[in-house]
Formats: sequence, C-alpha cells, structure tokens
Amino acid sequence: MGRDQWRAALRNPVGAAAAGLLVLLAVLAVVAPILWGDAAEETDPAALSQGSTSEHPLGTDALGRDIMLRVLVATRYSLGLALLATAICVVAGVLLGVLPAVLGRRAGRLVTGTVNLAVAFPGLLLALFFAVIFGVGARGAVLAIGLAGAPSFARLVQTNVAAVSGRDFVAAARLAGVGRFRLVARHLLPNIGEPLVVNATVMAGSALLAFAGLSFLGLGVQPPAYDWGRLLGEGLDRIYINPAAALAPGVAVVVAGLAFTLLGESIAQVVGVRAVRRRRPPVGDQAAAAAAAGSAPETPGDTVLVADDLRVGFPAPRGGWTYPVDGVGLTVRPGETVGIVGESGSGKSLTALAVAQLAPDTADVTAARLEVAGVEPRGRPESEVRELLGTKVAMVFQDPMTSFNPSMRVGTQLAEVTRVHEGQGRRAALARAVDRLRTVRVPAPERRAHQYPHEFSGGMRQRAMVAMGLMSTPELIIADEPTTALDVTVQRQVLRLLKDVQAETGAAVVLISHDIAVVAQLCERVVVMYAGRVVEELPVGQLGAAAHPYTRALLASVPDLATDRERPLATIPGRPPDPADRPEGCAFAPRCAFADDACRVRPGLAAVAPEQRAACWHPRSQPLDLVLDVLSGGRS
Amino acid sequence: MRELSFEGTTVRFGSGRSALTAVDGVDLTVPAGSVVGLVGESGSGKSTLAKAAVGLVPTTSGEIRLDGAPLRTRRDRRRLQLVFQDPHASLDPRMTVGESIAEALRGRRRSARAAEVARLLELVDLDPARARSLPSGLSGGQRQRVALARALAAEPEVVLADEITSALDVSVQGSVLNLVRDLQRRLGLTILFISHNLSVVRYVSDVIAVMYLGRIVEAGPADAVLSSPRHPYTRTLLDAAPAFGVALDDPVPADDPRLDTEAPSPHDPPTGCRFHRRCPIGPLTRPERTICAETDPQPGAPDRPHRSACHFASETLTLEVPAR
Amino acid sequence: MTTTPVTPPTAPVTPSAAPATSAVAAWVGNPWARFLLRRTGRLLVSLAVLVTLAFLMIHLIPGDPVRAALGVTAPPDLVEARREALGLNDPIGVQLADYVRALFAGDLGTSMTSGVSVSETIGQRLPATASLAVAAFVVVMLAAVPLGLAMAVLTRGGRRRGAELGFTSTSAVGAAIPEFLLAVGLVFVFGVTLGWFPVAGRGDAASYVLPVVALALGPALLMARIVRVEALAVMDEDFVRTARAKRLPPLRVHLRHVFPNALTSTLTIGGLLLSGMIVGTVLVENVFAWPGMGMTIVSSILAKDYPVVQGIVLVYGAAVLLVNLVVDVLLALADPRSTIREG
Repeated sequence: MGRDQWRAALRNPVGAAAAGLLVLLAVLAVVAPILWGDAAEETDPAALSQGSTSEHPLGTDALGRDIMLRVLVATRYSLGLALLATAICVVAGVLLGVLPAVLGRRAGRLVTGTVNLAVAFPGLLLALFFAVIFGVGARGAVLAIGLAGAPSFARLVQTNVAAVSGRDFVAAARLAGVGRFRLVARHLLPNIGEPLVVNATVMAGSALLAFAGLSFLGLGVQPPAYDWGRLLGEGLDRIYINPAAALAPGVAVVVAGLAFTLLGESIAQVVGVRAVRRRRPPVGDQAAAAAAAGSAPETPGDTVLVADDLRVGFPAPRGGWTYPVDGVGLTVRPGETVGIVGESGSGKSLTALAVAQLAPDTADVTAARLEVAGVEPRGRPESEVRELLGTKVAMVFQDPMTSFNPSMRVGTQLAEVTRVHEGQGRRAALARAVDRLRTVRVPAPERRAHQYPHEFSGGMRQRAMVAMGLMSTPELIIADEPTTALDVTVQRQVLRLLKDVQAETGAAVVLISHDIAVVAQLCERVVVMYAGRVVEELPVGQLGAAAHPYTRALLASVPDLATDRERPLATIPGRPPDPADRPEGCAFAPRCAFADDACRVRPGLAAVAPEQRAACWHPRSQPLDLVLDVLSGGRS
Repeated sequence: MRELSFEGTTVRFGSGRSALTAVDGVDLTVPAGSVVGLVGESGSGKSTLAKAAVGLVPTTSGEIRLDGAPLRTRRDRRRLQLVFQDPHASLDPRMTVGESIAEALRGRRRSARAAEVARLLELVDLDPARARSLPSGLSGGQRQRVALARALAAEPEVVLADEITSALDVSVQGSVLNLVRDLQRRLGLTILFISHNLSVVRYVSDVIAVMYLGRIVEAGPADAVLSSPRHPYTRTLLDAAPAFGVALDDPVPADDPRLDTEAPSPHDPPTGCRFHRRCPIGPLTRPERTICAETDPQPGAPDRPHRSACHFASETLTLEVPAR
Repeated sequence: MTTTPVTPPTAPVTPSAAPATSAVAAWVGNPWARFLLRRTGRLLVSLAVLVTLAFLMIHLIPGDPVRAALGVTAPPDLVEARREALGLNDPIGVQLADYVRALFAGDLGTSMTSGVSVSETIGQRLPATASLAVAAFVVVMLAAVPLGLAMAVLTRGGRRRGAELGFTSTSAVGAAIPEFLLAVGLVFVFGVTLGWFPVAGRGDAASYVLPVVALALGPALLMARIVRVEALAVMDEDFVRTARAKRLPPLRVHLRHVFPNALTSTLTIGGLLLSGMIVGTVLVENVFAWPGMGMTIVSSILAKDYPVVQGIVLVYGAAVLLVNLVVDVLLALADPRSTIREG
C-alpha cells in the first residue's frame, strides 16, 4: 500500500479521529506516570471509598487513592501489555502462517491442520488455558493472550499466503529458480502486507480488551500493579456507591480499543474498494459533448430498439465523471440481427445493459431518445418498466457458469419467468420450461429441469439461458458475448441455436462480441465500437469495404485459417484509451496511420456508401484484400 | 536448443470419485528449433501437460525428457520456461519489470544484470527504460512481452507458451504473435505453443498436435493436419472455427442433430474412443461402427497417418453433410 | 454430568460375506456417508487432542502443581499424599491412560479444595451457562439476519449513504465493545440508575434480560454487518443480474436469489459466534454473579484447583467442537453443490 493510501486512511474522518486518539493515548502513556505516578499511589485515610468530590472528581478507592489519576496512570501499563501481547501474537502468527509455504507438503499440511484445529476454539478459552499454564499475573496474561490470538492470525496469514501462492507470478518466480525463503520474503509477504497491517491493528484493540477482561477476572495484573481491567474489577464491587469507579476505567478501555479497531477498519476501507457516491453528474458535462454525438440513423417504419445519443457515466474515483459509453446511436429493426463489435473497454456490453435497463446502480444513463420494444422506459416507475419489458426483452450473458443461481434448480429458474409475468401455476410453468429446454435441444429435458446448474456443462447452460429467454415470446434478444466462455465447437452450436431461434420466433437479435468473425457469421449488420462510440456501421457483406481504419485494422490483425503465415500480422500500435482520459477529437487518432490535424475534431457518423456510415475524416475506399473478397462474394 | 519429449506422460488429480486423469499417456516430441502447436478445448489437458513439464504439477507416470535425458530435479526443469496466460497475474505487482526479469538471471554481477535486462527488453521490442516501471503501468501486450523477456532471461532450452494471447485484446494479440514468430526465427527457439485457437496455433506452428480429453488424438506437420485432418475431432475443430466466408448455415458434419449430446465428463471418459459420442463418423451416425464404443483406438495410433487415434483414420474425411 | 462413552464406528455385522461387501461398497460410495464418516473422524481427532491438552495442562505448569495449590507452608507429607492421590507420581503414560479411562466412566476427578466430584459440580453449573448461551444465540440470529438483509437492500449500489454510514459506524462501535464492559454499563443504567432489572444471580425471566443483552449485542451487530456485506457481494453476482433481466420484482430477487446464496457464510459465522458466546459467558457470568461454569472456572483458577479447571475446559472445548460439527452438517445440507461433502 502506497503512501497515498495511508494518507487517504487518515483523511477519512473516522480514521483521523482514531489516529488522533491513539496519539493522545501514546502521549498519556509516556507522560501520565511521570506526572502523576506518585500521586496515584498516595493513600488518603480520610477519604476512603468516596464518591465524586471536588478534590477527587471520580472518587477514591478503598484505600483512599484518587481514581482519576489511577485511570490516567494505568494507560501506560494497559497499552504496553496489550502491544506486547499483540507483538507475540503477530510474530507467532506470521511464523505459523508462513511455515506451510516453506516446509514440504506433508509437514506443511500438519501445521495447517494444527492451526485449523486451534482456530476452532475461541480465543478466551485458549487464553484461560494458557493462563493456567503460565500462571496468574501480568507475564502469564501477556503470553496467554499473545498465544491465544496466534492461531487466528496464523490462519489469516495462511489464507492470504495461499491466495498469493496460487497466482501465476509466484509460479513464474519458482520456475525462474527463486528459492523458498526468497520467495516468501520478496513475493509472498510484500503482497499480503496490507491485510496483515490492518489485522494487526485490529488485533491490538482486541488484545487490549482481552487484557482488561483477564485483569477484571483477577487473572491478569496483580496488585499492587494495576491496569484498567484491574481498576474496573475493583470498581464493579462498589458500583452502587460510586459508579464512576467502574465506569471510568471501562470507558478508557472502550475508547482505546475502539481507536485501534476503527483505525484498522478505515485502513481496510481505503485498501479495499472505495465506496462510490451516487450522484447526478452536472448537466454541463453532457451538453458540451453532445454536439458531435452519434444519432440513430433516420429509419422509417417500425423499430424494436432505438437509442439516440446514449451515454452511460460513472463517478470517477478522483472526482468528476467518466463516460464508458459516450453518445451511442443504435437502431434495430424487428427480426434483424445486429452485431456490436469492440475490444474490452469499448463500452459495447454497457451499451447493451443500458438499453435493457440493467446498467449498474451507480451508473447514470441518459439518452436523447430511448425506445425498447415499443416502450419508452425513461420516466416510468421501475415496476412498470419491469412489467412492460418482462416478456419482450430476453438477455443471454457471457458466463453461463455464473449466470444461473447455484442454489436453485434450472427448471425452477426458467419457470419463474412465466410464473411472475403470466401468473401461471408451478406445474404449468415447469411444463413450459421443459418444453423450452427441448426447443433448445437440451437432451432429456425432464430430468435436466430438475438438476442444479452445476450439473450442466457450459454449453448446455448457455442453451438453458437461451431457453429462459424463450419462456415468453421476446421481440428482442440481447446476447452479450454469449460464446466467449465456450469452446469453439460449442460456440458454433450456440450461434446456430441463436440463428434458429431468431428464424423461428422472428425476434431481433443483438449480438455483442469482441470477435468480428463471430459477428460476421451470425449477423446482417455490424456496428463497430471504439472508446465508447460507434465508429462504423455497415452490412456484413460490405465488411470487405470497411471504411474506418479501426475496422480495417481489426479485420486484418486477427489471424484465421487462411492467413498468410509468411507475412507478419497487421498490428495496431498503442492501446485503447482509458475512458477517463480519452483524446480530444477522434479517439482512434493516436493509433491511426492516417490521422492528421483534422482528426482533432471529433468526427460524426456519416454515410460513406449505401447503408454504411463511418465516423472518420479520412475513410478508406479501396477494398481489403484476400479472404474478405471471398466473404463479400460468397454472401451476396 | 534441445528436443523436448513426453513419453507416456500421465497426470492424475484427486482420488475416488473425484479423480480426474487430466493427461493420459501423452507421447509428444517438440524437435529442437521448431514450434509445436498444441490445440484443444478447455479441459483437454493441454495446460496441465505444460505445467507437468515445468514441475508445477507432479506427473503420475511417464517420462519427460530433454534431449533424451529425463528431467528430474528443479535445476533440470529450469531449462524449460513457461509463459503464462494472464500477464496481469504472472508479474509480481510490487516488483519493477527490471527486478522481475533480473530474478531469472543467474550468477551475474549487478552491472551486468542491468545490461542484460536492457538487452532482453530490447529483444521483446520494449524500451529498456521500462525496467523501472511497475507492471501496473503497462498494457496487457507490454506485460506479456515482459513475461516473455523473463522466460528468456533464464536461458531456457525450451519455451512453453500457454495461451499467451488469450487474455489480450484482439488489437494487441497480433503484435505478440508477430513477436513470438520473430523471436523464434531469430533465436532458433524451441517452443511448445498452446492455444485453444486453431487459427492462432496455425499461424506460429510447424507441427500441430490436437488434444482431446487428456490425449493427443492427431499430430503432424501443420499444413498436412489442417488440409487433410485424419481425426474427426480435428475436422470438427476446423469446421467450427469462425471464419469470414463460412456461414453458419453452411452445414458441416458435426452439425448433425444426432450428435447434440452433453459433452463427456473428464471424470468419467467414455469407453473405447473418447470422441465416439460426439463423432460425426462414429456410432451415433453409423450404428454399425460398434468398434468405436468398444475398442480404444489409442494403441494403434503410431501406425496410422498423423498418429491419429481413430479406427477410421485412413478414410477420407470429406463426408456427406446431413440434411437439416 | 456424565460423559457418554464414545464408541468408534463399527462395520455392520452381516451374516454372509457377499452382501456385506456390496452393502459396504454402496455405503462408501454414498457421498453423504463418506462426508459423515470423514467429519466424525475429524471430530474424534479433535476430541483426542482436546483431552490430551486438558490432561497435559497440569503437567505443563512449571513447578509442582500440588505445592502451588496447597501453598508453601503445607507440610511435605501432605503434599506427597496429595500427589499420590492424584496419581502424579505414576509414569506419565499410565497417568494419561488412567485419565482417559476415568473420563469414559464419567469421572472427571475431585476438586482439590472442596473435595466435591468435578462432574457433579459441572452438572450443577452447566444448565445455567447453557441456557444463557442459547438464549443469547437465538436473540442474535433473530435480530441480526433480518437487520443485515434489510440494510443490504436499502444501501445497495451506494444508495442511502447516510443510512449506510450510520449503520456501519454504529455496528462497528457496538461490535467492538466487549461483553463484560457492556455488562457493566447495563448494570449501571438498568440496574443501578433505573432499577428495572436485577443485576445479579439467576432467577426468573427478568434476571436473564441484562446478561443476554450483554452477551448478544456485540455478536448481533457483527453478524448483521457480515450478513449485509455477504448479501451485497451476492447482489453483484451475475445470476442476480440474470434475475433482474428476468424482470422479477425486487422482493423475489432478494428472497429467492440473494438470501439463499448468502446463507453459507451466515451459517459459518453463526457457528463461530456461538462458540465465542459459549466461552464469552465466562466474563458475563462474573459481572452478574451468574452461577454457571464461568464463575466456577475463574475461582478455580485463582484457587489453583486444577481438576475443576481441567473438567470445565473439557466441557467448553467439547461444546465448541459440537457446534462446529453441527454447522458443517448444516452447510453440507444447505449447499446443493456440496463442495463440503466432496472436499
């Protein structure tokens, strides 16, 4: 964790308060015994067991000693013992936790097993056990609390070490000949440092509390020495006479314990996911960019999807907003198959989610016009949108492994659609689910409907996902990378299934993919996205005449089974821009061989051929060579 | 550079019902100075084979040899270097690029190391000044170049590249493939190049081996395997590869609806030929071919064309296409 | 309390060999049987370790435990006689064997100070402790799970930042206050100042209120936090997006798709909390003068009455192991993927 992150932890009000409190406690621990150490020992036979007086604000104890001074002076001992116990705990825990990574397989497993067994027992039980062995007293209690905390700290280290060990860079270091100890020192420990620091801080808080507990029980610090726990135990007996005698040390323990715990938590929060704020972006942001926005092509007649100047924004971590989707225009006619192609970060999936009203909660979606299956979803209450779109739009997601609820039978998950939207009974809905599974050629659908998702292979699950979309009669099927997680032979089956479904139901299909060849196989029209915008759209048959340099580079850089092996592949220099930091004008210009000064102004989509539009100041006109000729010839 | 050979290599995981034979008696030779492309679907065992070679997973039986000498110790295995799929995971986020590469260099002085790191970075077309960058400052393609440089730093006899372009964006994948091909030609590297993508494998490989459910089902010169495949699984892979000019509607043998079955589980591979339940020329379409379900074709493979694990390997695989 | 002898699982006795093999094979093949067998095995190993450690405790104490218990002024003959009576002069192996044998017979030894049988003491004290722990656990589950889920639903996707901040900070503070300090505070407010509830001893239902609240509040807040975080994590899963894509009403999405998948971790944490609460009674009992095992173990440690300490440590430990067993079985039941049963 970098210096910035530490600072961020302290900027957080809770973190700052906790840190300030700890500094105060540290000062007290140093100063209090020097200033008031003797006064706190002074007995006053004239003021035994008093309540609050002007001389003794918190009263006196049974020997007439001032309780407030004793609480202040006890800071050093209480903190010191707790930190000592924490140190023991952390050292023992790290040793035990790292051992399995250094030892051989068998010995490592023994250590892990022992730690697992010890972790099952609550820390207090272990502390009592060790307190018996090490004897009643401060020394025994330090050892007891330190060792009692060691197993859970060791477990934490082990979990983190195991997670890091499983990563490729550790395997790579091992293959490069890095020895075990260097591996631990250079690769494992530095990469688990953050959770360890956080937990050690929290551990210090709990050690403090545990120590107070043991002393309170009379098992920790023994008289004449005293810490907060001891003072609390003594005070509790007289709580009816002088409540302050019990409450003051109690408050001290709670405050100090909280300071450690909250500091740990605020560090953890900074290290972990930064909480995003849900706000509306300023309107000016959008208006500025709206000038060059892509608008939907003017299409007469009916459409199943129209999006005009669609923008999806997220609050940026450093303030302001970023727009992964930045003015997209998209039109889909009934029964049409449209492919959206782009690299990761092009905004293609987010475009699909946004038009389906499924964008993440933190996203801000705006559009000049948005119509899905004849419904204008904006401005309507959520429940109405659900009702209107429920039977009209079906989604197929990328990863069939994670897109089904693992704890629900597949048939039930399918049947749910009909039960909710058409109010059918359980039996009738399940019968339809079985029927739809049969439609997508899942073998033995009756049996399969009663299985859980994990009993399906990836391909079968993706078929079931398509079947789920067919539970009602959708007008639009949006398939977001539906074959990316699948093997190539299964990919063909799923694509063919989508094609069949499209032919049978007449639904329009929007296929999102990074693979232009996949899109070309299924779709009639291709929309190419780059950096949150549409850069070109054209009929599949005209891919050979692609006009935008990015589309052309994409086509030429991917080898297929006919690529000339003797020639280097075409490449695109550089990398796609980060949404937070897109160049002015044409986003592709920095990677484009044809870019010039004109490209500093953002190009809008303009017709370059019938049914073909490109957002480029220098559209190419000569046809691309080789296979693509076959393509345009073979299709028409 | 030397020749890497697998002889009857078997890797088994787990025991009892969850047991899984990920690699099952693989014989494969990577001749010195050539690129062997290993292609197969997920779960075919291709990555496990590479991990077994470098010792990241233990082999259950069989031998892995370098120029005929079996690899036994860690020192032996260092002569093979593996490049991982995901360059975001294979570089320590806390070490600079230079430190990561230097770690693989052996026995050199500090100054010599820096010079060597710079040379390696230049070799993979990166600015030597990048040595001071952390991986987080690099793009996926650049990271994969660093991973290649680190592998080369160990002066390996054989490089194993495990799906090194799968995690990359399509627009940078091409440049990494170009680099691999270029490095191989300039340095005469011996490479086992693993990918699920037949087009990618074809582009870089001299020899192609096809793996299915833990076994090599066909292997031979790249052109021969691709132009006249001898195993119906290779044919199926070729037919399924998305390519321009091939429409989904153009039916291929594997589209036969009779083959529309659940993929077999590697925990419980089918008897006889492992591919028979998905085979377009097997018992599902030709009921008289009971031999496929009964007799394992693997033992006869060395005598067949392309060492094909198919009883009907000599049959021409131009088949009539089922009517839809 | 009497300890039930633990009998090792034995193969079913069958008249003929052939069916026996197939029955055994079927039994071994059943994942549930294998899970239970393995889990029982683990329990037995843990129990064995626990018993050994409890036995060794007395031997790990530096110096002579009997001398320590009786004090420096005790005559040497008395010490020697007591050592002999406790069997401390036998070889350690013999002592362990005697200890285990006595354990199976339900004999946990005799108190060094009062001369009362340890099992009898525990038998008297256990119900007070158990009723306290169980009552607190029920309160935790009933309060924390609905609260955590509700907070997750209300604050998902960065909504209601104020409510989120309020909940997370309140629960963090609440969960960090240890039960015995909370107990002291409760005694002060509801016992001393308001006089609503009795502050010491075990009697009618009212006497349970303060100890149960003291024991349950921290774990309940912790549990609610964890349930919320888990539920939020599940809400980010792809299958919840699928459920939203099916345009299901939010209530159905949460109850049918989110909650069942957050259950696993809820159960795991619940088990840990229950274990912690069983032992947490030690402190609470001492604040409220609750006549349970916690009072007894503390006074016995101070009095160096080792047989009693040994016995109570064994009971606490066994209770913890039992809770873990139950949680594992519930987890295996709840998870259709049955990764626990397999792994």
